[in-house]
Amino acid sequence: MNPFWDNIFHSGRYKQSLPYFLSTIPIFKKLDKRELAFLENIVHVRNYETDEIIFSTGDIGSGMYAIRSGQVQIYSRDDQGNETTQALLETGDFFGEVALTASRPRCASARTTEPTVLVGLFRSDVQEAIRRHPAPLAKIMFGLNRVISDRLLQCSLQLEKLKAQSPETQINE
Amino acid sequence: MNSHDGMSRAQVAVLYLVLTTAIASGIAIYSSASTVTALFKTATTGLFLPLLLSLIVSFLLDPVVQFFESKKINRTLSIFIVYLLLSSLIFILLLIVGPPNWKGMIQALKADFPRYIGHAIEYLNGLLAVLHEHFPIVKNYDIAERLRVASQSIFGSIIKETPRSALRIGSLLLLVPLFSFFFLRDSRRIMRGVISLTPNRYFEMVLDIYAHVSWQLSNFIRGRILEALIIGLVVWLGLSFTDIPYAPILAIVAGATNLVPYIGPIIGMIPGLVIALVDLGMGGQFWWILCVYLLIAQIILDNFILIPILISKVSNLHPLWVILAIIMGGKLYGVMGMIIGVPIASIINIIILEIRQYRRNFNPYNRYFTSRGQLR
Repeated sequence: MNPFWDNIFHSGRYKQSLPYFLSTIPIFKKLDKRELAFLENIVHVRNYETDEIIFSTGDIGSGMYAIRSGQVQIYSRDDQGNETTQALLETGDFFGEVALTASRPRCASARTTEPTVLVGLFRSDVQEAIRRHPAPLAKIMFGLNRVISDRLLQCSLQLEKLKAQSPETQINE
Repeated sequence: MNSHDGMSRAQVAVLYLVLTTAIASGIAIYSSASTVTALFKTATTGLFLPLLLSLIVSFLLDPVVQFFESKKINRTLSIFIVYLLLSSLIFILLLIVGPPNWKGMIQALKADFPRYIGHAIEYLNGLLAVLHEHFPIVKNYDIAERLRVASQSIFGSIIKETPRSALRIGSLLLLVPLFSFFFLRDSRRIMRGVISLTPNRYFEMVLDIYAHVSWQLSNFIRGRILEALIIGLVVWLGLSFTDIPYAPILAIVAGATNLVPYIGPIIGMIPGLVIALVDLGMGGQFWWILCVYLLIAQIILDNFILIPILISKVSNLHPLWVILAIIMGGKLYGVMGMIIGVPIASIINIIILEIRQYRRNFNPYNRYFTSRGQLR
């Protein structure tokens, strides 16, 4: 876009705002501007230092996080205490979304690797907001469902592939 | 001074200075702290009641405001709508029923009060005489005289306070809607600000516990207030079938004392029964009034209908705590404190119970993990 017009309409400023950031996350993709402004009021912006633990395995999850800036390492620890990194998440990624609808224990740990700003959406806020604003919350829930369904689909496809790769295990069982 | 003396003169002077300044600043801090707390006390004396009332009002109105909010009206506007609806409802009620003649009633009560007390004391004296006949060991303890003096002093103070309390009611009428407006509009933002101060590691837990506690609390407060209102209305209705005077005042007493479990309903019943005995005699009307108080209001309505519906089992306090709360509330804020002491104790109880339950239920190592840390 022309920087001249860009300056006049301050689209740059909007792109730095929290609602714009939220609209880039797949779960909130379908929300319009007004609903995004509403969503801005129920999320919590949290600042983390380097190497701070966000949650660890077995904690009862109460919500999801999106990375506004910084980097988050998802890792798990086995019985001997060896850590294996499962993912390194960057700005715009989100994690922990399974805990948004049900209080289940976290199945991995998360920790920051640099100063990080996270945007958290938590179950209690969602439950409270559903009573006041059912329509945007329904959209959010739909988005969450879409993301989780996609992942489930990928999972089952991969499972199929793994089964196809090792037919002898099938016979043994 | 000699050097082997331990301390040189300069050192002694410095020590002296340091000690003096320490003591002086200590005294200064202490006195300023006590003046600050005194100032704080005087500044907040009249605020306790309006703040409490407006908290209660905002708890009561919150569901209604939420209803309008879900119709896509913004919160401030919906609060205004609720206010408008409420005030017009009160206005219409006043138009239909007509305002009860409070002033005349209080004046009549002022005139009648000594008569009621006299009759009650006569009756008590009769009881005492019977007691003396059967248990002569009991010394002639002048319970009646003490009761008369105490009740007259209480009633006298109530009468004396009336003009002042009229002024206070005026300020309440102004302050309570104002405060509750801001509580309704901004409480969520304020609480979010407070919660966001918690450290990252405990943030999720604090948020969850807060959600649980506030849900329980709003249910409890709403339930209690509705219960008192309904009991008051039913007592009013029941009493208005009879010729008993002061039915509205008696209904208010019954509703307010109903906030105190176990003891409250009994206390709330006494004035009505005394007035009924004195004015109406031991006839059918007296039994009907007793029936209204005891059977209809307490047993049928409260125990079988209201408490199961409105109030959860969570908030049940042990009777010992109830008595302690009444005594402590009475020491702090008089009659008002006696009434609100128990609800406040139950609120503290709910908070503690919720936190404990959260810790038990959501302790991952009980529910999802074996003692060795394996997933179940």
